[in-house]
Amino acid sequence: MIAVLGLVVGVVVGLFVRPEVPAVVEPYLPIAVVAALDAVFGGLRAMLDGIFDDKVFVVSFLSNVVVAALIVFLGDKLGVGAQLSTGVVVVLGIRIFSNAAAIRRHVFRA
Amino acid sequence: MSEDENENKHEIENKHEIENKSKSESKSEDTGEGEPHRLRRELPAEVAPEAADDADAPAGTKDPSLTGRQRLAKGLWPPRISRAQLIVAVLLFVLGLGLAIQVRSNSDSSALRGARQEDLVRILDELDDRTQRLGDEKQRLEGQRTELENSSDQAEEARKQTVERERQLGILAGTVAAQGPGITLTVSDRKGAVQADMLLDAIQELRAAGAEAIQVNDVRVVADTYLTDASGGGVSVDRHKISQPYVFKVIGKPQDLEPALNIPGGVVQTLEKEQATVTVARAQKIVVDALRPAKRPDYARSSSQ
Repeated sequence: MIAVLGLVVGVVVGLFVRPEVPAVVEPYLPIAVVAALDAVFGGLRAMLDGIFDDKVFVVSFLSNVVVAALIVFLGDKLGVGAQLSTGVVVVLGIRIFSNAAAIRRHVFRA
Repeated sequence: MSEDENENKHEIENKHEIENKSKSESKSEDTGEGEPHRLRRELPAEVAPEAADDADAPAGTKDPSLTGRQRLAKGLWPPRISRAQLIVAVLLFVLGLGLAIQVRSNSDSSALRGARQEDLVRILDELDDRTQRLGDEKQRLEGQRTELENSSDQAEEARKQTVERERQLGILAGTVAAQGPGITLTVSDRKGAVQADMLLDAIQELRAAGAEAIQVNDVRVVADTYLTDASGGGVSVDRHKISQPYVFKVIGKPQDLEPALNIPGGVVQTLEKEQATVTVARAQKIVVDALRPAKRPDYARSSSQ
């Protein structure tokens, strides 16, 4: 419950406070958000499976974000940033879908 | 332990589940009761505790007999402040923040904010190209506009000249009224002795003296005017019978016209010899307002076209 509240508060703060994002981080924000979404879906699935561990969640969340940003950063440096970020989004999207399928099986039994 | 490992475990569990399912299916085939048995098998609330063991996740700190749905409900309500909940809340706060910022900056009018450098360079190039193209087009259109303005000026000038020319020609052809300095020549012929040729002589004399517009009584005298003696006295001009006194309204230079009529042996003397009374009066303003319809020639066409 508190976790859901945290998400809602985050969205509200982001919408109304309008914090300025440093320009260095800005290109990596979308990818980081997608990676974090992947981690959240993984965590939700683990919770439904009854194997949720907060330490694992924190580590996977942070490492997902960092690795995704790193890949995009590297891609930018190599000159294939756009393609590489597309690839990262595709991979993360596939993972999100598979996790969502598992969650769906749990919640709707279908 | 990482999330991936968790997933691997889950995959293994899934395999278990599938195996169990296939087992149960084969069992149901054996026993002959198909659907009801499988349904019961899939509804964990109704299954026996030992069946639930291999149905859902056995590992973890939580009660293994709970289903995922129950665990979700338990986690959501009642709200409990635990370390795990707080950590997840913080991370989800960060996620929500990033999500909101990204969505906002994407829906902002400045879609360029998050764009990559190479994209920005490309966009800038495109904009430069576009600017140049539009500048070229503007120049071309401005040139066209100047051209059109000039040509419309020329057309206006030509139109004015045409109107002016039409007016002049109209005076000659007798289609428009005219006014200006000139003389009035009045010939009173009570005895009916004045013939058409005498009036024609007067008109010729006036023309030779530079008359620009002539009207006899109510008939305009133009290039193809003819005069004949009318039956029963009088003269007909262009089939219009006119009778005395014959009043000539003539526009021209009065100093030229009057002497031309008065020269010895000229028009006035000839007419007076026929015992007609002739008066010539100068005027600063003579109005020649008898008109004749414009006639379109049937055969003759302008050769300049």
